[in-house]
Amino acid sequence: MSGETPPRDPVERVIELRLPSKLGYERVAMDTASSLARRMGFQPDRVESLKTAVSEAVTNAIEHGNEHDAAMKVVVLLTARAGELIVDVADQGRKPFDHNQTIRRPVIEEVLEQDDKGGWGIWLIRELMDEVEFSTAPSGGNQIRMVIHLEQ
Amino acid sequence: MMLEDELTVSTRECDGVAIIDLSGDVTTFAEEKINNAYHEVTSKGARHVLLNFRQNDYINSAGIAILIGIVTEVTRNEQKLAVSGLSPHFQKIFRMVGLAQYAEIYQDEEEALAAFKRQA
Amino acid sequence: MNTPACSPASLELSLPSELGYEVIARDAVAAFACRLGIPAERIEDLKTVLCEACINAMEHGNSLDPGLRVQIFCRIEAERLVVEVLDQGVSRYTAAPTPLSIGEKVAGQGSARGMGLLLISQLCDEAGFVTRSGPGNCFRFAFHRQPGHCSSGDR
Repeated sequence: MSGETPPRDPVERVIELRLPSKLGYERVAMDTASSLARRMGFQPDRVESLKTAVSEAVTNAIEHGNEHDAAMKVVVLLTARAGELIVDVADQGRKPFDHNQTIRRPVIEEVLEQDDKGGWGIWLIRELMDEVEFSTAPSGGNQIRMVIHLEQ
Repeated sequence: MMLEDELTVSTRECDGVAIIDLSGDVTTFAEEKINNAYHEVTSKGARHVLLNFRQNDYINSAGIAILIGIVTEVTRNEQKLAVSGLSPHFQKIFRMVGLAQYAEIYQDEEEALAAFKRQA
Repeated sequence: MNTPACSPASLELSLPSELGYEVIARDAVAAFACRLGIPAERIEDLKTVLCEACINAMEHGNSLDPGLRVQIFCRIEAERLVVEVLDQGVSRYTAAPTPLSIGEKVAGQGSARGMGLLLISQLCDEAGFVTRSGPGNCFRFAFHRQPGHCSSGDR
């Protein structure tokens, strides 16, 4: 790094957020993401979509990945680029994603029959974001990458 | 990626008062716009100047420094300066740094214009 | 929403040293303080203090090199919200020994800038630099929690 001239208009800027695995803290991630998105120039309805997607992703990480262990962290990376905002949410859990969950579209009639009325999170994220990808975080936990494009 | 909520500055005249409307961030990036607007109204002979904020969400110490610069010129040019439209938090900040000694603080534009009228 | 004493209420974030990004940190920390039940009026003070501390870290500590990071650590400690702002210390900085008064600034006897630390000291309950062994400056400030003034936590 030293000695080199940094690029005049660097391609991306990253904000990193580490949250305790406690429900309620998804709010911090939502407000941070919306603050960034608003200032990047996203329209209000896109910002609302982003907030919902971030909320679902962080809640999943808290509940499923880290199993409510407040000492475990949820790491949220917000990467601002010229035409898009990338949000990575990683947990430190040992429980991998249920692959079935990440691709299935819940059917309201079926869900009404089940005791667990949840399971909408990942489907919602897919509906609201432009790109969604599931992977394993460098820490070994689960990671979800969500991309939202800035339409000018 | 620039993140500022870019300041929009416009000027107008009402009852002999030059009003400078400011909406957006008042930070280091605002310097040229604010100074230009002030110089514009001053060159047109404004005696009374109102900085009309729009409940701006972000004013920082660099922005306050710009306003102190305006106060310096207002004093030199023997004009009267007032501010309006600040949120309660930034009204407190303006008092705290002493700007209130140089510019009356009003809740809104109407209150400021009425006060200028009484003084005239 | 109140946080039980046993809960490790903490928040860490890091951001590039580019003016404008302090606002994102501001909104993150404000959301955190909101969850802790800090009253709205004090959150406004916290927002201004955090921005000024970040700007100092970006401008003075990291010489506005966007490749260098500003780190922020927030935690609850004995009924106080403690925030630390760390830079990577290209240069050390401290407060001017005798800041100019507004009268002196208006009279043009020096720069109108340099009010960040003054604002910080007037808006929070504690503030100051923390000695660190490694490179970089660490600025710490605290807001006292006022029991009985808890807001709902949801905005």
